[in-house]
Amino acid sequence: MNVKSLLSHHNHYASLGSPWSAKADKVQSVTGVMLGCFLLAHLHFESSILLGKEAFFHVVQFLEGGMFSSTGHGFPVVTKVFSIFIMAVVIIHAAVALRRFPAQLGQWRALRRHMHGINHKDSHAWFWQLVTGFILFFLAPVHIFTMITNPEIGPHLSAERVYHANAWLLYILLLPAVVIHAMIGLYRVAVKWGFTHNRAGLRKVAKVLIVYLMVIGLLSLISYMFIGQELTLPVTPYVP
Amino acid sequence: MSQGRMLTFNIFRYDPQEPGDKPKMVKYQLEEAPGMTVFIALNMLREQQDPSLQFDFVCRAGICGSCAMVINGMPTLACRTLTSKYPKGEITLMPLPGFELIGDLSVNTGKFMREIAERLKLWLHPNEQDSDIHRLEAPMSPEEAAKLYELERCVECGVCVSACATKQMRDTFVGAVGLMKIARFELDSRDQRSAEDFYHVIGNQDGVFGCMTLLGCQDNCPKDLPHMQQIAYLRRKMAVTLV
Repeated sequence: MNVKSLLSHHNHYASLGSPWSAKADKVQSVTGVMLGCFLLAHLHFESSILLGKEAFFHVVQFLEGGMFSSTGHGFPVVTKVFSIFIMAVVIIHAAVALRRFPAQLGQWRALRRHMHGINHKDSHAWFWQLVTGFILFFLAPVHIFTMITNPEIGPHLSAERVYHANAWLLYILLLPAVVIHAMIGLYRVAVKWGFTHNRAGLRKVAKVLIVYLMVIGLLSLISYMFIGQELTLPVTPYVP
Repeated sequence: MSQGRMLTFNIFRYDPQEPGDKPKMVKYQLEEAPGMTVFIALNMLREQQDPSLQFDFVCRAGICGSCAMVINGMPTLACRTLTSKYPKGEITLMPLPGFELIGDLSVNTGKFMREIAERLKLWLHPNEQDSDIHRLEAPMSPEEAAKLYELERCVECGVCVSACATKQMRDTFVGAVGLMKIARFELDSRDQRSAEDFYHVIGNQDGVFGCMTLLGCQDNCPKDLPHMQQIAYLRRKMAVTLV
């Protein structure tokens, strides 16, 4: 093998595309859509507290597989297993989404310079997706890890977590970060793969959903605070 | 005839050829005329106030793509931008970012376009039969021709490159212009390159999978080219090419 053949081999391999480029892009979108859809469901389930303790209690029992037990009570282990699954999806999503981060200082400066010089809404939206994504690296695992170690959910148990264990502090930061990240992300996936050409309509839906999810999230958080305030320790689980 | 309002231009000035020159913003004032474009205003400024002002133009009609610059934060063509669009009468002009600066508002888009064309092999690769000049060329359906002409409208102005934050962060990214031209040859039935061949050119972080869909290209393209649809098409096509 001479220098020329080595060079041609080098050029040959350098120009070859790897199937992993496509896979990483697909995995990022699929896991993102899974997490976005999960968030939509999650926020609605936990906001059932706004309809009263009993409503939330029944939602929890149903989701924990209460129909499969003789007493009608659910199994918290379901939450534990599902949380482990969500954690795995989050880790995969974060791993592939890392490709998008301006990890080098020069890239970050180029991004800031660009945002300063060019007025473009979607680029600004992406910047906020980037910032919230970075925040979620730290906040999301804390929340999910808590649900893996203490999967007990209920009107009183959740309120105890929010008020007495000070989880409200985590949730008040997590809520805007995750809602903004997920809704801009779902919008981006739709336009990225060409699922729709109605970008303006989709952008409106994303904006409305951000406001709506923040409102129901905040209101339910306030509800848990009020419930938590009235609880005496040690907490007895709610029974309708 | 009534007097036009007074326009204020803030123009980026820097000549890299002049030793000791430093980038600065220089203010000019000019009376607005009916139907005035930024391009006309620049010519008047050069004729009447500062002959050293550098900017590019050829056609004055949005065809050559030479006069692209950043006008009040929007990369676009100066010849297609009416000064009446700006109610305050204040217009800030910057050179297109992401290109080699020749001087003031003039950038070397040609160098970039040539490099990208050579790197992505942006020319027709005919099959062996079509290479034979003694044979009649196979006819092309009007529908296919219309599709190709639509993408051929690109004037290589460089606006999509300057409007793309991804490109600004990753210098090796091919940008919307590269992807648009690849899509043009991918659609051309006379081109012998397979989807796999195209994958080896754009199936990576510098190609279609590096695009983060910020859509600065789509929103700023002065020719209204369907960047969003074309990139999504390539992404879907490339996503199932090597599995």
